[in-house]
Amino acid sequence: MAKNSKGIETAEIIADKCIACQICIAECPVGAIELSPEGTARVLPEVCIGCGECAEVCPVEAVAFDKAGRKKFKKAEKPGPRIPVPGRVVAVYIEHNGQKAADVSWELLGKGRELADKLQARLAALVPGSEINGLYSRVQNIGCDEFHVLEHKSLYRYVSSLYGHALSAMVRRVEPEILLLGATSQGRDLAGVVATHLKTGLTADCTGLDIEEDSGLMLMTRPTFGGNIMATIFCENHRPQMATVRPKVFPMPVFSERECKVIRHDWSPPDDARIPELIDFIEDTTRAGVDITQYPVLIVAGKGACSPDSFPMLEELAGLLGGTVACSRPVVEAGIMPYERQVGQTGKTVAPRLYIGVGVSGAVQHRVAIQGAERILAVNTDPNAPIFQVADAGIVGDYTQVLPELISRIKERKKSRHD
Amino acid sequence: MHIVCCLKQVPDTADVKIDSQTNTLIREGVESIMNPYDLVAVETAVRLKEKHECLISAVCMGPAQAESILRQALSLGVDKGILLSDRAFAGADTLATSYTLAQAVSMLDRQHQVDLIICGKQAIDGDTAQTGPGLATRLGFALLTYITGLESFKPSQRKIIVRRKVEEGQEVLEVNLPALITVELDLARPRRASLPGLMKSLRRKIEVWDKNAIEADAEQLGIKGSPTWVRRIGVPSPRAGGPTFNAAEGLQDAVDRSLDILFQDFFTADEPGVAEGEEHGKKFQGN
Repeated sequence: MAKNSKGIETAEIIADKCIACQICIAECPVGAIELSPEGTARVLPEVCIGCGECAEVCPVEAVAFDKAGRKKFKKAEKPGPRIPVPGRVVAVYIEHNGQKAADVSWELLGKGRELADKLQARLAALVPGSEINGLYSRVQNIGCDEFHVLEHKSLYRYVSSLYGHALSAMVRRVEPEILLLGATSQGRDLAGVVATHLKTGLTADCTGLDIEEDSGLMLMTRPTFGGNIMATIFCENHRPQMATVRPKVFPMPVFSERECKVIRHDWSPPDDARIPELIDFIEDTTRAGVDITQYPVLIVAGKGACSPDSFPMLEELAGLLGGTVACSRPVVEAGIMPYERQVGQTGKTVAPRLYIGVGVSGAVQHRVAIQGAERILAVNTDPNAPIFQVADAGIVGDYTQVLPELISRIKERKKSRHD
Repeated sequence: MHIVCCLKQVPDTADVKIDSQTNTLIREGVESIMNPYDLVAVETAVRLKEKHECLISAVCMGPAQAESILRQALSLGVDKGILLSDRAFAGADTLATSYTLAQAVSMLDRQHQVDLIICGKQAIDGDTAQTGPGLATRLGFALLTYITGLESFKPSQRKIIVRRKVEEGQEVLEVNLPALITVELDLARPRRASLPGLMKSLRRKIEVWDKNAIEADAEQLGIKGSPTWVRRIGVPSPRAGGPTFNAAEGLQDAVDRSLDILFQDFFTADEPGVAEGEEHGKKFQGN
């Protein structure tokens, strides 16, 4: 390790590992680290005092530092924790249309129950809305201990500022340790508003949630850098610990009966709320009936099958298995399929019982979105395609030959079972 | 009319790859670019300026080299570029970022009242989509996310009509200014800079504001003001893959053996999983 002119063993950044999170830059007590034009941190050796603080805080071990030569540096005390009285409540925001909750809210109740059990906490559903009578009848079957209702006529449709204000008010009363929301367009919008009102931490689009054993903190794992990296985030000193989770990341739970208390909350909208006026609504007709996340089997066309000619074959296979056709990003970019059918980091996360990738190479952005699939079959001409690493079975070959054979063999198997 | 665009410099994540041997990022050849959604924000502002009298400011929080995207914004028709750069801003999560931007916008507002803030829906490196909602909430602006169209802009009435993408379709919403919109990629196709625009941008000065310039409370900035921390980082855990069969060595055999693996205890119902799919739809419903 290099010494500077004062004879201090300085820290060095390993540029390949650095993800430019800038935590070391912020933590360095003498300002010896800056961001280089290449977008990674670098240490100014003459300024570095060899305290090793950067090596301690680096989340990716991108700092080379010899601890033996460490010069002690007295760090200013961090402000103490600002944890309110532990509410011992895990809360889930229920997105609904008055009659029916979104699937993702249901999935989060399942995960919330698991987290609440680990914390020996109560699970609470937070349900703001205008008329939510339709949701009451089954509260004994949703895994919750408490069902918090905030009804107000102004909440008849989703408005960021009103829902943000209402949900923040509920959270201040319920004081949950954890608040989970679905990462739908509504949930992502609402979570940003609520976290800002409550001045707490929020982690978006988590694919994994768990409780750390010693600390009792929620560990939130999410893809970042376009899905190339999984970051595990925590929120130590602020409550609630907030996370949004995409639909289909967690399985649909099945709950047994559980006693659940319904608690009503009063609320009135703030006087200064800016409410956009809804002057028209254009229903998306092209999407009707093709929510690919709802199908148990997906036949997914990738770059290698990016041709309209392949469609009859894909459709036939999908029909045979009770599924539908989806695609990866290049197929959408080529204008062959609509965005709504795209699987991937920028498309939809899916968890079908069977996924068949046809000419899908399996870039990491695609792979993270299919990790919940029960079974994966990959068909690709390139034996080195990354999709094969995650496939339960793979066939190296031209799909125009493999698919007809696949179709005929499946037909035979179905027939023989009926005989 | 004063429009503020919020910009972020990001690595072109489409180019980021992982070295599977060492589990490290391969940075070689990865360019820093203006977040593509923010480029649409700039385009949207410039189009408004073509029809109405507007001043457009662009704000970017980042290190010194982020100046390049502000210069790019100037070349496209933005009037004023402000780089928020201070060691104290480093390590900011979305809460601290929205605070820093809110302070900067308040400063701009003192110079010239801010009517409209345009942000990209999300940045392609973090994909959080939280900064826009956070900024609107802090400033008390009306918040309109996922905007796909700007239907009309009425400066005299201080109103804007936009099209907003939601799950079931598109809302057309009218709202009083000041407002903050976050824009989708399909709102507008960004132009390329003209040569005169490019030349002019090179001569312009980019203002650099530090924490004092935005009168910030140091406790709310950067890593100090960030409730969330990274505990660890790893590559996505791979599913264990199964065998691969080569069709060239026998197509029927490859297909048969694949089906054997896939459909072990799978074809229990005639149409796999369909019944379950319907079941999901019923859950959590009223009577």
